[in-house]
Amino acid sequence: MQNSYDFSPTLRSPSVSPTRLGQGRTRPGVMVPASTSLGSLPTPSPSDENVPPSKTDDYASSSLAYDLIRYTPAPTVILDASLLVRHVSDSYVTASGARDRDQLLGRHADIIFDSNFTIPAFTAAGKAVKAARNTAQLQQVKVVTDTVSAWHMRAIPIIRHESLRCIQMEFLDVTEEHQRQLELRERSYQNETFRILVETVKDYAIFMLDPTGHVATWNAGAQRFKGYTPLEIIGKHFSTFYSQEDRDKDKPARELRDALRDGRCEDEGWRFRKDGSKFWANVVITPVYKEGVLLGFSKVTRDLTERRKTEKSLIAAYEEASKLKSEFLANMSHEIRTPMHGMLSALTLLLDTKLDSNQREITHIVQESGDVLLQLINDILDYEKLASGSFSITHDIISVAGIIQSVVRAHQACHRPEVTMEIFLDEKLPRSAEGDSLRYRQIVQNLLSNATKFTETGYIRILARLQSEDHENFTILTEVVDTGIGIPAGGSNTLFTPFTQFDNSATKRYKGTGLGLSISKSLAELMGGNIGFHPNPEGRGSVFWFTAKLKKCKQLKALDALQENMQELKLPAPTLVNPMETLKALAASKRLLLAEDNLINRKVMLRMLAGLGFEKVDTAIDGKEAVTKALQEPAPYDLILMDVNMPIQDGVSATKELRAKGLQVPIVAMTANALKGQAESYIAKGMSGYIAKPVDRNLLVELLLGYLQRKSPG
Amino acid sequence: MSASDDKSGDIMSIPGAEDQIDPATFEQILEMDDDDAEREFSKSIVYDFFGQADTTFKKMDKELEKKEDKYLKELSELGHFLKGSSATLGLTKVKDSCEKIQHYGQLKDDSGTKDITEEQAQEKLGTIIKQAKTEFKEVKEILKEFYKDDDA
Repeated sequence: MQNSYDFSPTLRSPSVSPTRLGQGRTRPGVMVPASTSLGSLPTPSPSDENVPPSKTDDYASSSLAYDLIRYTPAPTVILDASLLVRHVSDSYVTASGARDRDQLLGRHADIIFDSNFTIPAFTAAGKAVKAARNTAQLQQVKVVTDTVSAWHMRAIPIIRHESLRCIQMEFLDVTEEHQRQLELRERSYQNETFRILVETVKDYAIFMLDPTGHVATWNAGAQRFKGYTPLEIIGKHFSTFYSQEDRDKDKPARELRDALRDGRCEDEGWRFRKDGSKFWANVVITPVYKEGVLLGFSKVTRDLTERRKTEKSLIAAYEEASKLKSEFLANMSHEIRTPMHGMLSALTLLLDTKLDSNQREITHIVQESGDVLLQLINDILDYEKLASGSFSITHDIISVAGIIQSVVRAHQACHRPEVTMEIFLDEKLPRSAEGDSLRYRQIVQNLLSNATKFTETGYIRILARLQSEDHENFTILTEVVDTGIGIPAGGSNTLFTPFTQFDNSATKRYKGTGLGLSISKSLAELMGGNIGFHPNPEGRGSVFWFTAKLKKCKQLKALDALQENMQELKLPAPTLVNPMETLKALAASKRLLLAEDNLINRKVMLRMLAGLGFEKVDTAIDGKEAVTKALQEPAPYDLILMDVNMPIQDGVSATKELRAKGLQVPIVAMTANALKGQAESYIAKGMSGYIAKPVDRNLLVELLLGYLQRKSPG
Repeated sequence: MSASDDKSGDIMSIPGAEDQIDPATFEQILEMDDDDAEREFSKSIVYDFFGQADTTFKKMDKELEKKEDKYLKELSELGHFLKGSSATLGLTKVKDSCEKIQHYGQLKDDSGTKDITEEQAQEKLGTIIKQAKTEFKEVKEILKEFYKDDDA
């Protein structure tokens, strides 16, 4: 930085024309300039007015002037009117770096204010002195040098009787003060900048709260976000911005407490504007202290509504993609499964034929591989269904003990002889409850097949007990304990993550998709339960457990429920139109096929149908005959009543065949096994409806009417 | 549709009938008769059933005795078969026992939920077939009395 000059005539003495006043110098070496009178500088008394320069030596070493000039700590030079140095203070000698005062005395200002000396900015000093002489006014100059030292110079013209007697030059080192000033200026500049910055920022609401949470300052961003003008909001409590719900939960106060405790509190949530609309905000509250005293809290709020919207749309896009993937996989698995089933059933047939041992062995290999492949496809299908949320749990009658026994029986064959398999069943287990037996079985099967897969010696125990019970549900805890290879420490986190297996080495010893446990987890959760793992407390091996909620059966047997339904159905018999009469009117023109193997039932049904006005009823004594008769051309029947259990070909398979061959007429299943789930499964297999045995006439009337009327309206 | 207005006598008034017969189901069969005095149809059905039951029980005995290949399956099917007709007639006790035969033949317990061993099944089958026969005999007497038939 260049030296800066600050000439500021601060003192005005009566205007004096520049005059040459200098009196020659006295003896060199003697520091007594006769011409200078310093003793009475401030107020020249009237009596002094015409007194010529004192003859006495004012500058005797004992005089006040001597002390003033010689010993002043402010480096001082006294120049006469011709700008020759008359006196210098010791401090000046030191400060200027002159070797001694003789170098200075008697010299012209131009010479001593040369840059040879250490006091900088002599150019400025020279100018000041000249200005003082020429203007007879006090000159003050502040000089800041390149070396960041600062000097305050005063050139004081001493004038007596309108003539310049001398010029007193003072050089004050103000470097420190200058630095302080600079810092101060910098600071105030910063403060101001910050204030403006905060006030004008529009993308953030930045404001201060007092220690009790009342709004103390308000910036443009805050006004923009929240809609309040400073006047409206300052002094109000900041909980104004929160929802009623948050206020009820005392969230605002809690946030202040958290901020005090942790030094900061960040929150994301809905905040409310003046007009009642809300925005998604990120809020940071920081306590502000000054010298250990809490001044209040700074609160910075960002409007994340847009970002949240973007995030949401991103998530939605991701979910959509994931759903498509799931659907694709599910479809593919499903598509693959169908030919797979065909292949496997063909293999079973093949195995029943005469094969030599070599062929048999190969066929077995094909069958085994096919089974594994099918299991894999089923796993993927299940997993994708679970992932896409399209998986539902059905409620049929479930017997935990029965399922466990049957699963264990299925595994008896495949566990090693060195492994004992034990079942422990709680006596309190419900004999029957409502639940999805298929899915419960699936979990047990999964856990058990894992246990057999990984256990080479020791035991596999399966335990089931009633964990808890309320008036609606049983909670069943099922555990599979083994002495197998166990789970490595740290591995338990990823156990239930899809597609993970511990043994991922190239020489994988154990096959599988790594989906089993993850599927089991989802299934357990669907059944209102949970799944988990802990190491076998007896040392080696693992314990896998899961819980499932089963609904209590309202009836002892589903059959009872069904019969009850029938009773209920009987009640609204006297309707406006007598359904039996309606059916009778319709029946004469309708042809039925009754497939029933039991003579007695056949007779009774025929009689019942005849009683209802059906004149043309054919019978078939098994499914095969039913198929043959039903497929005659032209299609002879308007409806088929099909017993489910029949020799040679059962009703379900006959129905499947008929449907596969394009037969459209209603087929009604007749069954004594009218358990809830089964009835539905008949419908799934192509039946149009079902009726429980023994067949109730009224129910039959309704059912037949439903199908036959539907077929020929009016 | 109650059975009580039956002129030819209420089967439910015969001692033991209450245990053995479901009135609503049996009534339905009776309603199929053209003539309430003759009861030609229902009688023929009931007597058909007597014959069917006799044959079936004989088959069961044979299966249980010989224990040939798939005898359990056979027994289960026989049980199911007789269950069908006894249910149609409303012969509750026989029907229930036949259902058990059906379950045991499938190596299941009474309710068809829990698994049982083959040994258990054999034992249970022996007992239940015997029981079914007794029940059949009892209900046969009731029915015969109802149809006022003293011979056979």
